[in-house]
Amino acid sequence: MGSIIRFRFSVGSEVRFLSHLDLLRTLERALRRTGLPIAHTEGFNPRPKMSFGFALPVGVMSWAEYGDFEFNEKVSPHAFETLYNEHLPQGFRVLAAETLPEGTPALMSVINAARYQIYIPGGSAAEVKERVDWLKQVDTFVIERQTKKGVRKVNLRPLLLEVGPISPVGGGVEITTLSSLGKQGNLRIDELGQLLDFPYRDAVITRTAQLIMDGEEFREPMEIGVRDE
Amino acid sequence: MDKRLEPLLPYVQKPARYTNGELNAVHKEWADQITKVALAFPDIYDVGMGNLGFKILYEIINARPDALAERAYAPWLDMQQLMEERGIPLTVLESGRDLVEFDFVGFTLQHELSHTNIIKMMDLAGIPRFSHERGEEHPFIIAGGPCAYNVEPLADFFDFVVLGEGEEVINEILDLYAASRKSKGDKADFLRKVARLEGVYVPSFYTPVYTDDGMYAGLEPVEEGVPSKIRKRVLADMNTVPIPEEFVVPYVDAVHDRAMVEIMRGCSRGCRFCQAGMIYRPVRERDPELLKETLRKLVAATGYDEISLSSLSSGDYSQIGTLVTDLIAEFGPCGVGVSLPSLRLDSFGVELAEEIQKTRKTGLTFAPEAGTQRLRDVINKNVSDEDLKQVVQGAFSAGWYSIKLYFMIGLPTETEEDLDGIARLAHQVLQWGRKYGTGQRLPQVSVSVSSFVPKPHTPFQWMGQNTMEELREKQKYLKKALRHPGIRFNYPRVEESFVEAVFARGDRRLGPVLARAVDLGCQFDSWTDCFQFELWMQAFSDCGIDPHWYAQRTREFGETLPWDHLDPGLEKEFLLYEWQRALRGEPTPDCRWDYCSDCGVCPNLLVDIALAGGEA
Ligand code: SF4
Repeated sequence: MGSIIRFRFSVGSEVRFLSHLDLLRTLERALRRTGLPIAHTEGFNPRPKMSFGFALPVGVMSWAEYGDFEFNEKVSPHAFETLYNEHLPQGFRVLAAETLPEGTPALMSVINAARYQIYIPGGSAAEVKERVDWLKQVDTFVIERQTKKGVRKVNLRPLLLEVGPISPVGGGVEITTLSSLGKQGNLRIDELGQLLDFPYRDAVITRTAQLIMDGEEFREPMEIGVRDE
Repeated sequence: MDKRLEPLLPYVQKPARYTNGELNAVHKEWADQITKVALAFPDIYDVGMGNLGFKILYEIINARPDALAERAYAPWLDMQQLMEERGIPLTVLESGRDLVEFDFVGFTLQHELSHTNIIKMMDLAGIPRFSHERGEEHPFIIAGGPCAYNVEPLADFFDFVVLGEGEEVINEILDLYAASRKSKGDKADFLRKVARLEGVYVPSFYTPVYTDDGMYAGLEPVEEGVPSKIRKRVLADMNTVPIPEEFVVPYVDAVHDRAMVEIMRGCSRGCRFCQAGMIYRPVRERDPELLKETLRKLVAATGYDEISLSSLSSGDYSQIGTLVTDLIAEFGPCGVGVSLPSLRLDSFGVELAEEIQKTRKTGLTFAPEAGTQRLRDVINKNVSDEDLKQVVQGAFSAGWYSIKLYFMIGLPTETEEDLDGIARLAHQVLQWGRKYGTGQRLPQVSVSVSSFVPKPHTPFQWMGQNTMEELREKQKYLKKALRHPGIRFNYPRVEESFVEAVFARGDRRLGPVLARAVDLGCQFDSWTDCFQFELWMQAFSDCGIDPHWYAQRTREFGETLPWDHLDPGLEKEFLLYEWQRALRGEPTPDCRWDYCSDCGVCPNLLVDIALAGGEA
């Protein structure tokens, strides 16, 4: 009997410049090194059965990346966590792992929001506050987004859901944001920079959460539906 | 991660090229008494990471307690610009140190069109280009690799060059260096000693002589006791040297990024245009059991999902069938596929291709090289029209729909008929595809036609290259003849083949041209988008050099050639004899299966052909 394991992992500073594909390849190779009984797709090019949350922007660190791995045999989440951590390169770490109940929807179909913690070197708290106050009063902030199909106008304003505490740290300012992520609407990190007017390339950014938002309620993808103890 | 580069990373393409910290990278303590070697690859990281020779040296050097090796690659243009603006020198990945801090910086000479990158990397590192400009405070700049067999255009840049296989000589060099350090010898002292090692060439110990009319007349030693010929190093037994088992696994998408194992060295098919087939002789195969054991460790250490059996012509490995079957049986169930890098049908049965196909969808290539049987006999490419027919029909019936054909233009004795032959074959293959194809998709034939570049140490080494006009005409002719929706025709620019030909058979007078070309902005010349022909022509003219004299002049057989002292063990009489047989259209058999054709390598180097299945 097979099993699917969902896990949360972190992406540290030393590996934050990997592209999404680089990251997937790295996780896949580490998984193969564990020797665990990975399930594969059928066909000419058998691929390991694995799926992930939304791509982490290049240059951004994270405490909240998610993956689902399918195995041909029953694998205990605890054993998986220990073994996988032994084989992951420096910079990656599994923080939690659970067996996924059958029929759990895929990560990509439920995640719809993300939190970022952003440190802007040289930034001033007062200026950020001013910007946020201004944003609160406007309904639209339209930019041109380059997509595969050409340029498209997008209103970024509704994609920024919340700006949390703004605190001066060292020679800069630290803020936290909550923004849309996923198929229904997606605020990219460079667009977040445009909205809040900071140079996103020079900022130190960490994704601290990917969330399943349902009205006022938030759920973390590790809380797998079963809420009654 | 290099602290100086870190702030630049968000501003460049593929930043993970520069971040290091890859799995299996070796970070040794930078202790005083340790010899430090920087392995420098004259192209970007994504290309360099695929080089097996580099991995071999990295593992051998790092296995020594008294030495360490770290890697350096050419930064791509965007990164270079940022580094230059901020005054950041070229650094190695592992420790982030400057290249100047090393005892040795070793470049690999892969291709004539990467010469400029070597000079550019020295510039970026702040190391003086020419060996005579460097002092005790600078590392030894050394090199090895296929282009070492005519390193003369680069001779003035290197302190010494290693000819042939590096597995043994690298240890001898490091032993010698350790001893020289203990006895507090200076660089000159070490150079004198290292020049006595077989396979080591110290260019500054020789000075070139030219006749009054500008002909090259040989090298004169300026140092006592140096050999008049430098013989290549060769391994007698491929089974007793270390094989890399723990590749550094790149994060970015790199070439040949898989579990690669060299199943044999050398190829003796004897294609007369092919330098690799001449300089890597004789054929020495590795024991299949050793290969399997190596691959087990390699896959476990890297997590690769693909095994690649590498060599010049893997289909010729005497146990290829059983090796592939065994590997598929063992690794297939774990989702690990098997591939042969150049799945060339001429040496490879369709059944074997099908076997491999079970785990990976691969393209099929066939390299007739010439369009007619006559010309194939001239170049000693022993495939017949009948072979081609059987194999291509077999491939189409087995379900392939796309076939790649490789040809060359500008070969000796070529006529219009041979060009027509290329077109005829391409159309023929397409027709076979229609007839025998299994029907799911329309058959596709892709035809790659490169321009012949005469290379040193081959039977065609005396031949002049076609002029660029001739080659362009031929390309035009073929373009017309190959116009068909089912045929894709591609060909490199003739200008690139021209510059390649100039340096392939160049002498030391070309060194200043390389330096000038770099000053003018030439680098990454093997990247078609970066190749700037006008700048090259300007560099030639600024240095008073006529490049056509080098590329297109047919040499006299009695002429002293700039690579005569660089000796892969071949007899010049053999090359000449092969040239004459070429003109008569007489094929020479492969000495692996057939009788010895007396190329000289085995007796001269005291080695033998070694086949995995025992006796040849
Ligand atoms: S000496 Fe003879 S057997 Fe040896 S490589 Fe040359 S041709 Fe082959």
